[in-house]
Amino acid sequence: MYEIMRWLGYGTIVYFILMQAYLVILAMLSGAALRRNHHLRRYGRVGEMLSSRTTPPISIVIPAYNEEAGIVDSVRSMSIVKYPRFEIVITNDGSKDRTLEALIEAFGLEKVRIPYRPDLECAPVRGIYRGRSGVDITVIDKENAGRADALNAGINAARHPYVLCTDADVVLDPDCLVNSMQRVVEDRDRTVGVGGNVRPLNGSRVDLGHLIEASVPRELIPRMQILEYLRTFLASRPGWSWMNALPIVSGAFGIWKKSVLVEVGGFSRGHLGEDMDLTMRVHRHHLDNKIPYRIVYEPAAVIWTEVPESTRVLKRQRIRWHRGLMTSARDFLSMTFNPRYRQVGLVSWGGFFLFEYLAPIIEFIGWFVIPIAWLTGALNGSSLLWMLGIAFGMGLMNSLVALLLDESYGYFNSPTDTSRLVVMAVIENFGLRQVTVLWRIRALIGGKETRSWGNMERRGVANLAKG
Amino acid sequence: MSPDQLIKMTVLVVFSVNAVLAAVLILLKVVHRRRMRRHNLRRQRYLGVLSRHLSFENCTDPITESMAEDPAFLDALIDMRSAITGDEVSTLRTIVNRHGVIDRQISHLDSSFPLGRRLRAAVALAEIGDETAAGALMRHLEDREPEIRIQCGRGLGRIQWTPAIDQIVWRFSAEIPWVRARFSDTLTGFGPKATWPLLAYIRINHKHESKGPALAIRTLGQIQDHQAVGPLLEILEEADDLEIEIAAIEALGELGSPQALPKLHVLLDSTRWELRARAATALAGLGDPSTIPHMTTLLRDENWWVRRSSAAAIARIPGGVATLYEALDDEDPFAADAAAEALTDVGELVTARRRAETQETAEEPLLAHMSGGK
Repeated sequence: MYEIMRWLGYGTIVYFILMQAYLVILAMLSGAALRRNHHLRRYGRVGEMLSSRTTPPISIVIPAYNEEAGIVDSVRSMSIVKYPRFEIVITNDGSKDRTLEALIEAFGLEKVRIPYRPDLECAPVRGIYRGRSGVDITVIDKENAGRADALNAGINAARHPYVLCTDADVVLDPDCLVNSMQRVVEDRDRTVGVGGNVRPLNGSRVDLGHLIEASVPRELIPRMQILEYLRTFLASRPGWSWMNALPIVSGAFGIWKKSVLVEVGGFSRGHLGEDMDLTMRVHRHHLDNKIPYRIVYEPAAVIWTEVPESTRVLKRQRIRWHRGLMTSARDFLSMTFNPRYRQVGLVSWGGFFLFEYLAPIIEFIGWFVIPIAWLTGALNGSSLLWMLGIAFGMGLMNSLVALLLDESYGYFNSPTDTSRLVVMAVIENFGLRQVTVLWRIRALIGGKETRSWGNMERRGVANLAKG
Repeated sequence: MSPDQLIKMTVLVVFSVNAVLAAVLILLKVVHRRRMRRHNLRRQRYLGVLSRHLSFENCTDPITESMAEDPAFLDALIDMRSAITGDEVSTLRTIVNRHGVIDRQISHLDSSFPLGRRLRAAVALAEIGDETAAGALMRHLEDREPEIRIQCGRGLGRIQWTPAIDQIVWRFSAEIPWVRARFSDTLTGFGPKATWPLLAYIRINHKHESKGPALAIRTLGQIQDHQAVGPLLEILEEADDLEIEIAAIEALGELGSPQALPKLHVLLDSTRWELRARAATALAGLGDPSTIPHMTTLLRDENWWVRRSSAAAIARIPGGVATLYEALDDEDPFAADAAAEALTDVGELVTARRRAETQETAEEPLLAHMSGGK
């Protein structure tokens, strides 16, 4: 028993050291990839794509459910994004409020009967609306069946070869499309997906659907999430993208080749992690069929989204995310550490499985095992503290590297903002992180509460303008 | 070293690195902010100096060697170049040449400096667009960095350096798609001077590769030189690669020459749907109303993309909208749907509905169609 406790105790700590080492190595790789990208962004001439006839057109697909408050401002902000040819396809997913009416009034839409090809399975469409208010907008009005279903309906109606799947409550950076589509033009044959850089909007100043000034919010919960997003989008994804092993293209900003979406059957309806599921299915489809492809991440394609401000909403979101991850872990178990799936199976998905899916379980066990092992003398108190110090220090290092990488973007202008985030990187380890572990454990247990999307309770882009 | 010592040493290293990272981060923020502020101030000052040099021939404001080395000066130069046209551009070139800016940027481009610095030099040379840099820009069309190759091509296009056309065209086969697309833009800027080199390249390569020649054909469409129509028709006749055929049809549509009419008509009956759809779109570019009856038959095509393309094409041809109104009553519901979509796209369906509602004149088939019934 003594020996078991000893091995379990040290095993848990070594697991966390390995996890942080993996993340730090990933952050280093991301740093190298971003360094190169920084020069190209500063002196390259992506803007030339705006006047080039070789630039492929794109359809922006937005699912909307009860978005009456912000949908018009959101679509207006999207309609002035810098790109030569694009259309906006909004799917009204059976909203119970006046989302559809708000769109009809704002953009002078008319119900039309035009061909609708249901290449992807989705709930029945009630009507299609089009307008000629200077912006090419199509609204698909359909019965409620969830986000994935609404995206599928929008993809069916999209008329361009590439689709941007995004949300109704995001603020797009004006250059995000041109920056991301550059990656498509770079290698049009192989590029099937491009992910963008999602950043929290809370605390920032927004006017008429445009970001005026980014800053760090005063509240701890959104501030912690800023750090999390920076770690994910700047210290992990560029590294995975460099290996062509991106395990997830964010649902808030993902550009996909429409033909590929149709081949893999689009988004999985009812899946709580439909973005990860789609990305992994696209990987599997291409690797199984030996089709050359790449899914890339573009850090300069920035979009801003509101993140939860209360623990209640954050808890619901984290439970949902972890449920989505659990379903994907089960669905893609055959890919995990399978050399047939090369770097995806061995490095990124393998790492995801080991350090995302299993992390809450092992950390939770560690909370009990380590103190017991220490009390029974199975673990040497001094060694234990030093090892915990390594795990904590490497976690902190990962956050600091992410903050350093963010410097090349310069969104947070003041040293005060940076200092706040540095302090946050330290204090998040004492309480906040442990709470998120409990939520993920809750997701593992299951139950009715963990099986639905729930309401995000956003303030909305329109309301942020006043904030 | 014992395991205990190793662990302690690791903790020490990790926390030292963290302390350094945190300090660097805060310091970087403070320093970077100050540096950017100074950079922008210098940039504004240099813009003032350049403006005075452009306005007054005998301006005595010095442009020193250190100024010419300053990245803020290059940024100011790029800003200024974007804001001026005509004679002022050549005056600006003379000024920067006189102060050795071009030579200095050439030496930076030739150096083994990091990417950022070399790229800045390439952008500056492309913006200045002076003939003295042509040699260096030609050399770096084969640079190891794709973005530098693009900037060199752009600079040569700006100078209208015709000896570069051949070299750019022949790099089509070796280039990555991103550079190839940008080179295509550069060649479009050369205009008809690039027509024959492009045709020569296509003739030699279209039998054994598709990507490069297809883009070269599309570039010809953009150049709008009607001399290319005859050779493009020949290439279309000889080609057995779908991508080349599609590119040639699209280019013929862009060129809009009646010379292509008979061939495009034949292609409307092609066994391949891709060619039928493209031929319809290309015929819209020619705008000849005599093509409408033939294209109307494609509204009942078995392929939806052909139906959609031909309806959209008919809508663009003078008199085509009336044909589409008639097609709304077509016995084939797919043809009627295609017509309705094309009319919606050009704003006709909505306009007609409003007109019908306000004037209370029943346009029965149209209203029925729009409300979903038929």
